[in-house]
Amino acid sequence: MKTLFLDAPYAGTVELCKETFNYLKQKNYQTVALYASVQFVNQLEKVRKQLEEAHIEVITSQARRTHVETQLLGCDNDKEALNLSQEQWQHIDAFLYIGDGRFHPLALVFAQKDLDDEEKEEGKERINKKEILCNDPMTQQLKIMGEVEVKSILNKYRASLMKFIAAERVGVLVTIKPGQQQLRASFAIEEKFPEKKFYYFIDNVLSFDQLENFPFIETWVNTACPRIGFDDQEKFVHVVINLRDAVYLKQ
Amino acid sequence: MPLYNPELEKAIIEIRQSNAKLVCIQLPDGMKPMAKEIEETLRKETGARILIWLGSNFGACDIPLGLKEMGVDFLISWGHNRFHRREEGW
Repeated sequence: MKTLFLDAPYAGTVELCKETFNYLKQKNYQTVALYASVQFVNQLEKVRKQLEEAHIEVITSQARRTHVETQLLGCDNDKEALNLSQEQWQHIDAFLYIGDGRFHPLALVFAQKDLDDEEKEEGKERINKKEILCNDPMTQQLKIMGEVEVKSILNKYRASLMKFIAAERVGVLVTIKPGQQQLRASFAIEEKFPEKKFYYFIDNVLSFDQLENFPFIETWVNTACPRIGFDDQEKFVHVVINLRDAVYLKQ
Repeated sequence: MPLYNPELEKAIIEIRQSNAKLVCIQLPDGMKPMAKEIEETLRKETGARILIWLGSNFGACDIPLGLKEMGVDFLISWGHNRFHRREEGW
């Protein structure tokens, strides 16, 4: 079966609103990392020109799963996925996201999760958390995910990681959707945590209402869309973490 | 004017070129109200029967499964582009 993907580009003008512009000036930001969702990513000329005229340097990258530079996907939500160098991370004052809603820019929050671990590594220079400026071209509004909010979101997830460490019986959730089939990858956690018992659950689409039927599970490990581990925490009676974070967990 | 351009001309060309007879269209929630216009235009311009996917469209990883078994020969998914799959999954 043939499949065609159509971007559905935004039909209006893509530019920075006055509020965003004023905020950048007020904070005296010199360098921003620019990202956009696919509906806006091919129409950023005006935004780039506005930033250039304000003498604000633009850094961007092609994130791991994307085909276009500057595009942001919700699932490219770890530090390496953004493909920014350590020097670029140091250099950035803030992230600037062009698009609507919170789903995509939250990936830029979760991408900063690994900075906490790096702080503990010897010889590694500390990188401060970055706020995310969300410029919505449709409403011409700026919404800010500030440093306090970024830290608060990441602390909640860190608490889930702690509960996973303490758990003895872990349920691994696997779905059959393309791009989310991580059954083989999920076996890696057995080697890393030989003291835990892992039970594997497979589904077409993750059925949250079925989770309570398995009360012996103390913690869930999500291998489907990595946003489930972050965005759907409240749908789990017991905590959920993402497979990647279980595999890379530093105890 | 709609907020997003559904790029119907591209869809029509691709359906005609592939000679598809049964086409499934998958729209993100923000474009689902456009399903009527899209269905009617594609049906009229290509003669193909159009099925509208009722469920989610969270990303290019979220395409409907089992369509082939129902005889669907073409899927058009709006709002996303192809992504690089990774063996390890993250």
